Amino acid sequence: MLNRDKSGPKRNSAKVVNESQVNDVSSNSIALAVKNLSKIYDSVAGKVVALQDINFTVKKGEFVSIVGPSGSGKSTLLNMIGALDRPTSGQVYINGIDIFSLKDSEIATMRNNLIGFIFQSFNLINRTTVLKNVKLPSVISGMSTSEANMRAMKILEALGIADKATQKPVNLSGGQQQRVAIARSLVNNPAIVLADEPTGNLDTKTGEDVFDMLKTLSHKFKRTIIMVTHNPELSESTDRSILIRDGRIEQDVIN
Amino acid sequence: MNPNDIFGLAYDALVDRKVRTILTVLMVVLGASLVVVINGLSAGQSAFLQQQFSSLATNVITATSGQRSYYGGGSSQASLIINDIIVNKIKALPFVSDVVPQYTGSVTIDSYGNVQRISVTGMNPTKLTVQLPNLEFVDGSTLEPNDRSAAVVGDTIANPAGATTPFVTVGQTLKITYSYSDPAGKQEQEVRNFLVTAIMKPSGNTRIDNSLVINPDAANQLLRKSGRYDSLLVQTIDDSYVNTVQDEITSLYGKNIGTNTPQATLKVRQQATSGNAAFVEMIGIIALVVGAVGIVTTLYNSVTERIREIGTMKAIGAQNSSILALFLVEAALIGIMGATLGVTIGIISGYAMTGLSSQQGSGGPGFNISSFPPIFLPQDLIKVWFLSVLLAIGAGIFPAWKASKLSPMVALRRE
Repeated sequence: MLNRDKSGPKRNSAKVVNESQVNDVSSNSIALAVKNLSKIYDSVAGKVVALQDINFTVKKGEFVSIVGPSGSGKSTLLNMIGALDRPTSGQVYINGIDIFSLKDSEIATMRNNLIGFIFQSFNLINRTTVLKNVKLPSVISGMSTSEANMRAMKILEALGIADKATQKPVNLSGGQQQRVAIARSLVNNPAIVLADEPTGNLDTKTGEDVFDMLKTLSHKFKRTIIMVTHNPELSESTDRSILIRDGRIEQDVIN
Repeated sequence: MNPNDIFGLAYDALVDRKVRTILTVLMVVLGASLVVVINGLSAGQSAFLQQQFSSLATNVITATSGQRSYYGGGSSQASLIINDIIVNKIKALPFVSDVVPQYTGSVTIDSYGNVQRISVTGMNPTKLTVQLPNLEFVDGSTLEPNDRSAAVVGDTIANPAGATTPFVTVGQTLKITYSYSDPAGKQEQEVRNFLVTAIMKPSGNTRIDNSLVINPDAANQLLRKSGRYDSLLVQTIDDSYVNTVQDEITSLYGKNIGTNTPQATLKVRQQATSGNAAFVEMIGIIALVVGAVGIVTTLYNSVTERIREIGTMKAIGAQNSSILALFLVEAALIGIMGATLGVTIGIISGYAMTGLSSQQGSGGPGFNISSFPPIFLPQDLIKVWFLSVLLAIGAGIFPAWKASKLSPMVALRRE
């Protein structure tokens, strides 16, 4: 696997992303566009603004990190991009599709086809095998068993865990489990991969390995990855960092 | 998701929680097998009763002193003595073609040292066909209505179940002993020898097959009846006059004479049987419903435990309908396993129960449960199977709906 380039661009050399890029949602080079996105929760204490007027685009093959302190709204933003929650206002475009203009069942199909999820706690189904976990998105999409098996095995091979295919996730190390989760996120060849603190449950060394794997996927295989992290060091190693604070984008820099 | 994949995921989930799945399946098994056993025994009993009464003539009324209950016990408040005067009065009623008076009593019979306790009937043996039109006798039999020492033996007495040699044969002598208490309360015995002149072929009626028929005068003397008949067989011209003649007898003697017909007895017995069966079947259905509640609990727990799994599946694109189908298939699998095992165990238990009771009840005359082997009608079994499966699926609807409606974000956030 690749070693992380620790001598990469420093923050002071970063340049702010051009506003004009945001408006070009239908461009073939844009994987994700977020426009005027706001999320306001009603609570007993009154209205809570979780996100306010968020605008940014992500190019195909870009590896973007969303950083910010706890409660800044970064996970809420990731949930909106992943269509797990609907915004109060604004749009999210994935491959030019306004996802919130779709019905719930269409959103589910879209999540299956266009989005890959990687969770902090892996969220694997422990009672079944690695192979069955990895092919689950393909199974959900209605793909034939043979093709789903073939695809899943190919990805497991690429990620170096093909030998674990028949094992149950509980018998694997944390790093191996997260690789299984990464394999699952890629099996349907999604437009974007959303990773929510993917190294949060791993020790430093394993976390670095997993991060390197994501970086390889982005750089070598041109995958578009959006990663939420609270680790500034990891964030600086991605192509671009979006800093969220109090529900707003405070900084959007290319590393 | 295609049905095979949903089935596979549902099956995996059930196997993952083996003990809980087995216990839930057992609840369905209990309910289904209970309903199957009850249906089988009840159908067997009903068929048995039908067969018992089908051989009896439909134009015969049994008249007894006082109100008779359907199972044959006379009232203790009998105030009318049935004698020849009453016999002749009833014989004179319109539409009555014959009246056959009967004495009955309990005696022991001895054949070469083998002893049986049986019921003896004193009546004209040639009139046996009044009640059993198709009654036949074994070869060599002769009916001697005027011979006071002649006896006609029922098939079950002559050929007891399980015996290798007959108890009596035609031409053999039987010693009949009647035990009674004299007015002073002293135990007395009356012993007489009878010659077996005829043996009945199986009549299809257990009571007749278990009876011994002797000359009425001999019975009057042996059983110390002093001319008081125990019952009368009143034969009408045909069965359409049965009710009319019954009414006539009632209007003559009121409640002092009870009348009954085989059809009425059959009806009452079948009502009692089906009433009992309906009651016990209700218990079976309650057991099934309890099983269904067990499925609700199991699946609801499963939804709670697998909430993150449901969230993950939804996040990676599973439709609500797929999640709904997944849990419904789990419920259906529990139902199918429970119903199939329950029906099988019900059938086996039905036969085992009758086998067991026939061992316990062998040798004794009269009714016992072994007399009616269970009848398992395919349509009944299919009905119970489908009822169990449908109840299981019905029980799965709420947890499945709950799972399908979970917001993926909420489900993923749950620890």
